[in-house]
Amino acid sequence: MNGLQLQKTLEEKLIILSDAAKYDVACTSSGVDRAGKEGFLGNSCAAGICHSFAADGRCISLLKILMTNHCTYDCKYCKNRRSNDIPRATFTPDEICALTVEFYKRNYIEGLFLSSGILGTPDNTMEKICEALRLLRTKYRFNGYIHVKAIPGASQELLYSAGLLADRISINMELPTMQSLSTLAPNKSMAGILRPMNQISETIADHRLAIGKDARMERAGINRHLMNSIFGPDTDRISSKKSEQEKLSLLTASNALSVPAERIDRDLKRPFAPAGQSTQMIIGASGETDLELIKTTQSLYRSFDLKRVFYSGYIPLNEDSALPSLDTPVPLLREHRLYQADWLLRFYGFHAEELLSEETPFFNDKIDPKCDWAVHHLDRFPVEVNKASYDELLRVPGIGPTGVKRIMQARRYGSVTFEMLKQMRITLKRAQYFITCNGKMLNRIPIEEKFITGQLTMLEAPERAQITESGNSMTQLNLFTDFHLTQMAAHG
Amino acid sequence: MTIYSCAPNWEAMLTCIYIARMSGIGHKNLQLMVEPLEQISFLDDYIHVEPDSALAEKVIEAITRKISPGFYASLAYCSAAYEPETLDTIYRVMLLGFAYGPQALDMLQYREVMRFQQISRRVGREICGFREFTRFHSMPGGAYIAHIEPKSRIVTALAPHFSDRMPSEHWMIADDIHREVIVHPKDSPFFLWNPTEEEFSDLLVSEAANDDYTDLWRAFFDSIAIKERANARCQRNLFPEWMRKHAVEFIH
Ligand code: SF4
Repeated sequence: MNGLQLQKTLEEKLIILSDAAKYDVACTSSGVDRAGKEGFLGNSCAAGICHSFAADGRCISLLKILMTNHCTYDCKYCKNRRSNDIPRATFTPDEICALTVEFYKRNYIEGLFLSSGILGTPDNTMEKICEALRLLRTKYRFNGYIHVKAIPGASQELLYSAGLLADRISINMELPTMQSLSTLAPNKSMAGILRPMNQISETIADHRLAIGKDARMERAGINRHLMNSIFGPDTDRISSKKSEQEKLSLLTASNALSVPAERIDRDLKRPFAPAGQSTQMIIGASGETDLELIKTTQSLYRSFDLKRVFYSGYIPLNEDSALPSLDTPVPLLREHRLYQADWLLRFYGFHAEELLSEETPFFNDKIDPKCDWAVHHLDRFPVEVNKASYDELLRVPGIGPTGVKRIMQARRYGSVTFEMLKQMRITLKRAQYFITCNGKMLNRIPIEEKFITGQLTMLEAPERAQITESGNSMTQLNLFTDFHLTQMAAHG
Repeated sequence: MTIYSCAPNWEAMLTCIYIARMSGIGHKNLQLMVEPLEQISFLDDYIHVEPDSALAEKVIEAITRKISPGFYASLAYCSAAYEPETLDTIYRVMLLGFAYGPQALDMLQYREVMRFQQISRRVGREICGFREFTRFHSMPGGAYIAHIEPKSRIVTALAPHFSDRMPSEHWMIADDIHREVIVHPKDSPFFLWNPTEEEFSDLLVSEAANDDYTDLWRAFFDSIAIKERANARCQRNLFPEWMRKHAVEFIH
């Protein structure tokens, strides 16, 4: 190694370490409202704020970087794995802080997303991460958003410190089964991921209770009106899991993180990860079905009270017999469908088992999961817009939480007509097959599965083409804008 | 039809509302508009209204007392919009407010309420957009300045967000279209400044000043995109071209 390589400029490091971090999909700065305070820099807005959109159409909200892309592990799917010969770099804590506050002051970002390759040991890595974050919160007086990656295997004390310094903490599950994990990430184990995930979840709950909040995270307001949402009162924590969850609970010691012996962060008086915990799973690197993926997602929401589960369509970066070949296209449509389904779980009161079954374990690529569900349950339609409940309206294709709220508001002062629905920006092109207004449908059409499926397939064709042809990650963001003006506080 | 018109600021609009309401010619026979008027018809009569703070006060008092302070805030929020029918819509929604109370805002059965909500939502999106896409530049002396070119007069609506975000920095946001500037001195409340043409042209040069972090941001912006997922159409939908004017990552 020559002297030049040792002294990379800040710009070179930034390019290497943002390039290395970009495959992590969590981009949001959401989940916590925090006012600014004199003498500090920054605040936080629960709805999250995107500051730009990159050439791939993905939102840029945080300075997403790795502390280092050196790594002692060798996860097969990862560009930074030990066995790859790539340019490597490491930021100093001050460099991380300077970039964050200077970008922040120019309104480029909402805060920092800090992850890292494994620098020697998990403890060493986590310690260095905490050092940078502590500097940012103290010397640089940064009060904006921080999302930190917890390194599985790091000590409880370090994880506790990280959670106190950051707003959101995440551990990537990456692969939803033990088998795929052991094939593709030989240095990781399911227990090693689930244990800290559970501890973080319990610690968040403890902190929330201590300040008089409900132990569970806030969810979109619409869930309050739903009879049977996955966030309902019957939700089980991991410790009381049965059957499917038994496996998981065996793996986890269900207790909160122990407080560091010497809490250096005491003076910061910060809540523990107030924006909650998230994770991500890679789609298409291993053989899981969509059913397995959304069932895992549902379990993660219910058991660990995760705020968000992200999906990342696998991008082939390494040649390896255990992986799909290098020319495998990114499974964008599949990722899109999974996000749609995730939305149905979080905002529409659906359960994973309603969307897919052992017989049909993959989503329909022609129509979205909600339309697919509706055409298979035509006996429940049409619903009368002027009488239907929240649950019923939300299950109508073309009507979202915002639309339902507007309908309910308008119903208080008289009856709702198709004209009004149009004004409320309800997609009648989709909804018309499933609703009546004052007993009448918009057009005289047959309520017949094949006919409606054909119509809906046609309506979706342009969107589908855009996703598959040009590479697209719009789902998350389009859905995101849909909710923009209503219940953002509970967004992940 | 009689058209009452006024300058595009809230005090003038409130005065216009007062004069129109007191005219006695019947709400159906009048319309309220903000100047400059896009089209003038020989069939209509035009009355220009000058702002009058005492009359504006009366309208504020009547709305907050007889309807509600929240209702007043909703009308004021909507008034930033550039849509030509904004003032007339506000006027008609106010009349409904006097008739039905604050819940008039939920009565979407009335076209004017529906329109009001649409305009308000659009303004809301514009404000959100500039909260995201406004870019500051560092100036000599440690202050920061941003230039924006919004369609609506939203700079005062943006100011509270940024003063919460950066309470202990000196900064300014200049609306280059409507020539309004928010000035925020460190650790102090912000204020609205209407600079002269000369002062404004001095402000305009500030954007050209070199700022190292701008280059670092551009480098980050390029490297964070995944090329296997490139999608310019999606990027354009989410970050419209007209909002990119001062977004440095698009200016090379
Ligand atoms: S731990 Fe695995 S996934 Fe993380 S940087 Fe190292 S090789 Fe990549």
